Amino acid sequence: MKKILMAAALSVMAAPAFAQDCGEVSVAEMNWASASIISKVTEFLMTQGYGCEVTLVPSATTTAVTSLAENNEPDVVPELWVNSAPLFLELEAEGKAKTAANVFSDGGTENWWVPDYLVAAHPELATIDGILANPELVGGTFHNCPDGWGCRIANDNLIKAFDFASKGMEVFNHGSGETLAAAIASAYEKQEPFFGYYYGPTAVLGRYNMVAVDMGPYNAETHACNQTPDCATPGISSYPAAPVLTVVTSDFAERQPAVFDLVSNITFTSADLSALLAWQDDNGASAEEAAVYYLTQNKDTWMTWANEDAAAKLAAIFP
Amino acid sequence: MATYDFIFDRLGLGDWCGERVTGDAPMTMAELLAGGKSQNPEAGLSWSDVWNVPFPSMDALNEACPSFARTRDMTRGVEDAFLAVKDGLKVVLDPLTQPLSWLLDGALYVSHATPWWIMIPVLLLLTFWASRSLRLVGFVCMTLGFLGFIDHFNYAMETLSIIFVCAALCVVLGVPIGIAMSRNDRLQRIMIPILDMLQTLPTFVYLIPLIFLFSVTEAKLYGIAIILYAIVPVVRLTDLGIRLVDKEVIEAGHAYGMTKRQMLFGVEIPLALPNIMAGVNQTIMMSLAMVVIASLVSAPGLGVLVLRGIRNLELGVGLIAGLGIVLLAVILDRVTKAALARVNAASAVPRH
Repeated sequence: MKKILMAAALSVMAAPAFAQDCGEVSVAEMNWASASIISKVTEFLMTQGYGCEVTLVPSATTTAVTSLAENNEPDVVPELWVNSAPLFLELEAEGKAKTAANVFSDGGTENWWVPDYLVAAHPELATIDGILANPELVGGTFHNCPDGWGCRIANDNLIKAFDFASKGMEVFNHGSGETLAAAIASAYEKQEPFFGYYYGPTAVLGRYNMVAVDMGPYNAETHACNQTPDCATPGISSYPAAPVLTVVTSDFAERQPAVFDLVSNITFTSADLSALLAWQDDNGASAEEAAVYYLTQNKDTWMTWANEDAAAKLAAIFP
Repeated sequence: MATYDFIFDRLGLGDWCGERVTGDAPMTMAELLAGGKSQNPEAGLSWSDVWNVPFPSMDALNEACPSFARTRDMTRGVEDAFLAVKDGLKVVLDPLTQPLSWLLDGALYVSHATPWWIMIPVLLLLTFWASRSLRLVGFVCMTLGFLGFIDHFNYAMETLSIIFVCAALCVVLGVPIGIAMSRNDRLQRIMIPILDMLQTLPTFVYLIPLIFLFSVTEAKLYGIAIILYAIVPVVRLTDLGIRLVDKEVIEAGHAYGMTKRQMLFGVEIPLALPNIMAGVNQTIMMSLAMVVIASLVSAPGLGVLVLRGIRNLELGVGLIAGLGIVLLAVILDRVTKAALARVNAASAVPRH
C-alpha cells in the first residue's frame, strides 16, 4: 500500500518538474466554442512550452471583465469582444489591464444575415432596402439578439432607424444565443426564409452559407450613438469589423514578460477558426480535441509564436 | 497497448476489432502528450500502472478494440435516434400543441393592448371574487401600483398572462389525469415515476428536445416547458385528495344508489377540493418559478430582465426584476390561499 502511495505521489510530483520559472496563471475560458478552443491552445502552449501551471476559469464576457476590474483576475482573457464589454476600455486607460493581441487578425464579424438560397432566388435580398421592400420574402421577422448582448442595443436603434414597424417587419427578441443559433440551423436545413443577426467566427457561420446583408456604409459617429441605449438620433450604419482582443492584467505582463510575448502572438484568421469550428461540429469533438487538431495541423503557424526555448520543448512533443 | 486488450484476445474478437487506424477519431490532449514519449510496452507491471487502472468504460474498451463504440458514439446515437423520430413526432405534436401558441399569443396581446386603468380594476375584481377579502384587494392594489410606479407593470403583466394560461391548462389537463390515477392503481404506478422525473429532470434538459421539435419563435416552446414542470403538483394532489375521501362517505353514497358520475361530481371532487386547490396553488407557484428559465427560450416578461441582470451583471436590474417576481408570487399565493380557505370553510359546512 505504501508503495502505491509513493508511486502515486512521485508521478504527481514528476509532472510539473520545470514549473518554477512561470508559476500559476489563470486563463478565462469563455462559454462559447471558439473561445474555448483558444483557451485550450493557450493552456497547452503555456504548460508545455513555458512550464506554467494553468488554471482555466469558466467565464463569460461581462463576468470576466468585472472580475478583472474587481479582483485583478484572471491573468489572461482570450477572445474578449470589446463592444460587449466597454468596461475594459476604462481598465486599459487606468493601466490595470492591457491588450495583448487582436486575437482575430481580421477582426470579428457582426452583421445581419440572410441564407444564400434566398439571395440566389431573389438577388434584391442582399441589401437592406430590398429586404424591407419585400419583408414577406424573408419570413417577415427579424431575429434579434437576446437582451443583455451588446448587439441588442445597436440592433434596437437600427430597427428604429430603418423604421421596421411601418414596413411590416416584425422583430423577434430571442431569449438566448442558443435559440438564435437553433433558428438559423433549422431554417437553413429546411431551406426556409430567415433574416437576423449573428456574429462570427462561429460554427454557425462556418457551417451555413449566410450572406451578409448590405446595410450601407459604416459611419463611426452614428454607430457609436447606436451603441448607447438612449441614443437620441439612431442612424443608419453598418457594423464595423469588431475588435476581439486577448487581454491580460498589467501585473501579469510585468511578472511574465516571456509568456506575455507568447500571448501577444496567439492570433487566428477568421477563416481558419471557422473551418476549425466546422470540423469540431462535424466530428462531435470536444474543445480540447479541436485544440489538439489545430495544434497537429498548424504546427508551422504556432511554432513561430513561442520563443526558442519553448519551441524546442514543444517540438519534442510532436515527433 | 491498452489495459483491456486481454478481454478481446480471450474472446477471440481480435479480428472483429481490427487495427487501429490513426487519425480516424479526434485525438485527445492525453493521447497527444503520450504520443511524444517513447513507449516501452512489456516492461512489466509497475505499481503506478495498477494504481491508474482505468475503469472498464466504453472509452477504455475502445482503446483496446477500435470497433467497440466510444461514449461519444452513444451520445451521437441518442441524438440520431431522436432526429429520426423527430419528424414523425412533429406531425403529431405540432397541430396538437398549436392551441397553446394561440392562447399564449392571445393572452400576451390582451396584456399589451389593455390599458392599465382597465387591467388593474379587472385584476382587483378577480382578487375579490376569489378571496372575498377587501384587505387582500388593498394589498394587491398597492403591489400593482408599486410595480407600475417603477415601470415594471408591463413586464409583470406579460409574466402574469403566461402564468394564467399555463396554470389554467395545467388544471384542465392535470385534474382529469389525477382522477384517472385515483381510479386505477396500475395507471398510478406508471404515472408516479413519470411525475417524479418531470419534477427532478433539470428543466434545461427538456428544453433541448423542445427546441428541436418546435420552431423557436413560437410561444408554445416555453408554454410546454412551463406546463411539463408545473403540472406535477395538481396531478399528485388530485390523486391524493380523491384517494383520501372517507370510505364511509363513499359507502353512504353507494347505499343511496349513486351512479359513478354522481359519486365523482357530487361526493369525491367536492370532498377532495381542498387538496386539489392546494395543488393548484403549488402549480401556480411552480409556473412562476419557471419564468426565468422560460425566458431563455424567448418568453417575455420579468424573466428577461433577470437574464439581462445576469448577463451584464447589472445588479440593480436583476434584483428589482427578482423583487417583482417575488411580489407576483406573494399576490398569487395569497389569493389562491384565500380561495382555498373559502373552499375549506364551505366544504366544512356539510360535514356537521
